[in-house]
Amino acid sequence: MLNKLALSGIKHRLRDYSVLFSGLIIASAIFYMFMSLATNSSFLKSNSPAQATSFIYGFGAVLLAIITIVYINYANGFLLSMRQKEYGMFMMLGAKSSKISKMIFVETFTIGAIATVLGSVIGIVATSFVSQLIIKSLDMKVTHFNSFYLPALLITFAFFIVIFIFSALKNSISIRRTKVLTLLHKDSQPARIKKNKALKVFQVILGIVFLGIGYGTMIVMGSNPVLIYLGVPVALFTIVIGTYFMINAVIIAVISALKRNKKFSQKGLNNFTLSQLSFRISDYTKILSMVAMMFALALGAITVGLGFQNQISTVVDGQNYYDVTVNNINNSQQKRIDKLNTKQVVTYSYKASKGTVYYQASEFKKTPFKYQKFNMKSMIGKTSSTTDPSNADVSYELLNNNLPRYRTSKISVVDGAKFDSIDSKANSLTLVKTKSFNKDLATIKKINQSEQKRYPELKGSGASKYDAYVMVNGIFSGLEFMGLFLGIAFLAMLASCLMFKILSGASSDVKRYNMLYKIGTRTKVLRSNINKEIAVLFAVPAGLGIIHVLIGLQMFSKILYKPYMNIEIPFGIFIILYLGYYFVTRYLYKKIVLK
Amino acid sequence: MQKIVEVKNIEKIYGKAGEKQYKALSDVNFEVEPGEFVGIMGASGSGKTTLLNILSTLDTPTSGQVHIGGQDITKLNTNEMADFRANKIGFIFQDFNLLENLTAYENIALPLALQNTDSKKIDPAVMSISKKLGLTDILNHYPTELSGGQKQRVAAARALVHDPAIVFGDEPTGALDSKSARALLDTMSKINHEDNVSILLVTHDPFSASYCDRIIFIKDGEIGQELKRDDHTRGEFYQEILDSLGTFAE
Repeated sequence: MLNKLALSGIKHRLRDYSVLFSGLIIASAIFYMFMSLATNSSFLKSNSPAQATSFIYGFGAVLLAIITIVYINYANGFLLSMRQKEYGMFMMLGAKSSKISKMIFVETFTIGAIATVLGSVIGIVATSFVSQLIIKSLDMKVTHFNSFYLPALLITFAFFIVIFIFSALKNSISIRRTKVLTLLHKDSQPARIKKNKALKVFQVILGIVFLGIGYGTMIVMGSNPVLIYLGVPVALFTIVIGTYFMINAVIIAVISALKRNKKFSQKGLNNFTLSQLSFRISDYTKILSMVAMMFALALGAITVGLGFQNQISTVVDGQNYYDVTVNNINNSQQKRIDKLNTKQVVTYSYKASKGTVYYQASEFKKTPFKYQKFNMKSMIGKTSSTTDPSNADVSYELLNNNLPRYRTSKISVVDGAKFDSIDSKANSLTLVKTKSFNKDLATIKKINQSEQKRYPELKGSGASKYDAYVMVNGIFSGLEFMGLFLGIAFLAMLASCLMFKILSGASSDVKRYNMLYKIGTRTKVLRSNINKEIAVLFAVPAGLGIIHVLIGLQMFSKILYKPYMNIEIPFGIFIILYLGYYFVTRYLYKKIVLK
Repeated sequence: MQKIVEVKNIEKIYGKAGEKQYKALSDVNFEVEPGEFVGIMGASGSGKTTLLNILSTLDTPTSGQVHIGGQDITKLNTNEMADFRANKIGFIFQDFNLLENLTAYENIALPLALQNTDSKKIDPAVMSISKKLGLTDILNHYPTELSGGQKQRVAAARALVHDPAIVFGDEPTGALDSKSARALLDTMSKINHEDNVSILLVTHDPFSASYCDRIIFIKDGEIGQELKRDDHTRGEFYQEILDSLGTFAE
């Protein structure tokens, strides 16, 4: 009989349960997606040159596990809050608490198990979809990646089963310990705001100090990457604590100040909104700080990931000024070059004899040779030009453009008479600079291929700019892929965490909004009030997270050339996705709260 | 003189046509004069809450007309209804319905803020009504720090602060102990006499009803008899109500 009652209870609250259920499914799907990367060691090895990768992934796995536990804790609290009134009623009608707690155990565990299985399946599908999308759209080379990876699936199952056993135990114990009357009147439990000015001021100071230490550490790490193993934990610890105090003290102080401004607070529902917020934020401090941190990590991961994409062209450009090199040009290669959007085309003639490659001074005088002056410190080449490429720096790059057989030769720039007198066949070297290497990539690839056919020695020599591009792209794509994947996974997780926390408080707001409606508040006003309130709850962690990222990018100032370049792209993508969660949350919230 | 409330041939039917229908109100007619303190009495399920919901524009009648302050409230759209409630009506509910995250002061000021009253005018209005209801010492307290009687007085202040045309009380003493209930009724009665505020009280409690000038009895969705206090003392009127309830229930 009780089981029947429990089932009918679920049916009645199908909408709330569907929110809970989809949240749990998302959690397990994301966990699987991450694990399919993190546990796949052959993928990690083949796609990242950096020693730090497994460290980064291990760190990510721990973070994700923590956030998943927190998330399930919230979801579990939401489940219990929906059901406890009913449980209280069953107990009042004489059901034994042992029976009820058994029922709760079964219910929690069943929901968790079904969600985990469904989530893993969705995770497999989503992994293949997302990875294909990322790989294709960014022309990436990712090897050893498989959306179905058994060890990841097993870890996901094991992890979630353990968590749900604990949640189920926690639920059944908490019901056993709570009095029937408390269960029945749970909704009307008062919510109090504690005020202690001295403590708040102390928290503000602590918040600023901790954030200062954290930010400082990140900047120091940027100029000295060796400190990364010590610096990351220090920065993480201090910034987490700093964020917590900032939200707990500073934001509440701002709200109180707004409340004291009567002109503002006594307009429409402003006072109500501010009170809701100050109550909410003190209740939400933990989750908002966590969301702010996750926001920063996720956005940081995406930004750095895309930063590597920017890096590709920078590094490739550093290798060679000219985009295309053709030896002894023929008609078909000429036709291909004509298709390019060129900035400069230059042809030099040369003769090779006894370990020396001879060029004519008059040709360089007419069109100076352009090369990349490479700076080891910044890893960036700066374009320069010269009429005498025989010195060591420049001859290296010019020889790189010649066929590999001349690689060890010397360069000699001679006058016309001397050139003519050399007893060797005259060759030509055509160099092309395009307006955009990336836009002409397809044609450049063709020219490169046909050049390799004409001169098989070019194969595997890695001499051309295109070859360099392929190699660098391979290295950076792995890093970029991880950044994007991690970023999107964390975003989905943090935003659904926040969504859940907000929605689980919705039922207690029904009465408040109903009262406001009764005393004559227009539905439109109620709606806009809800929008504002939820917007602030989403904006606070986002704002702090963005500041964390902007400063955190300093960590990469040595690894990435211009870490702030094109920053609006990852920020834009991220904010659009995050806004999506905001709109879903406020829609669901209004569905629960308003008639 | 214009009536404050005029109810003509109100009918309320629940359930769609073709399905099983339930008639909650049938041919209800009555009026409330300005400054009158009227009680509506009836047992549970008699239709008194339905009637109050219609009078306060929270529900609409199936047929019939309701005029409040000369305005036909059955012809209003949702926004107009909300504005009407905000401007013309004060509510006192059985379970106080205070917002527990606002202080007593902020709760009382809420209806004025909703009407976008100039913030300079809000403070004197709140202070004046608080003084009248003896709330000045507890204005900075949150509802959870107040007793039931204090909470209900805060709710009464909130119902009165914007000078509504009429105050509706839905079993306002239902959740109070007898001493607090008596204090609240004394206050309402005082405001009714001194400030000429019209009050419509829905109750099933004869003691609360004995404070009214006139009682309208409702049973199974229909108006039964009416009882006027006239020159009787409250004690006599109370006895009269008890007698009527005895006969009315049969």
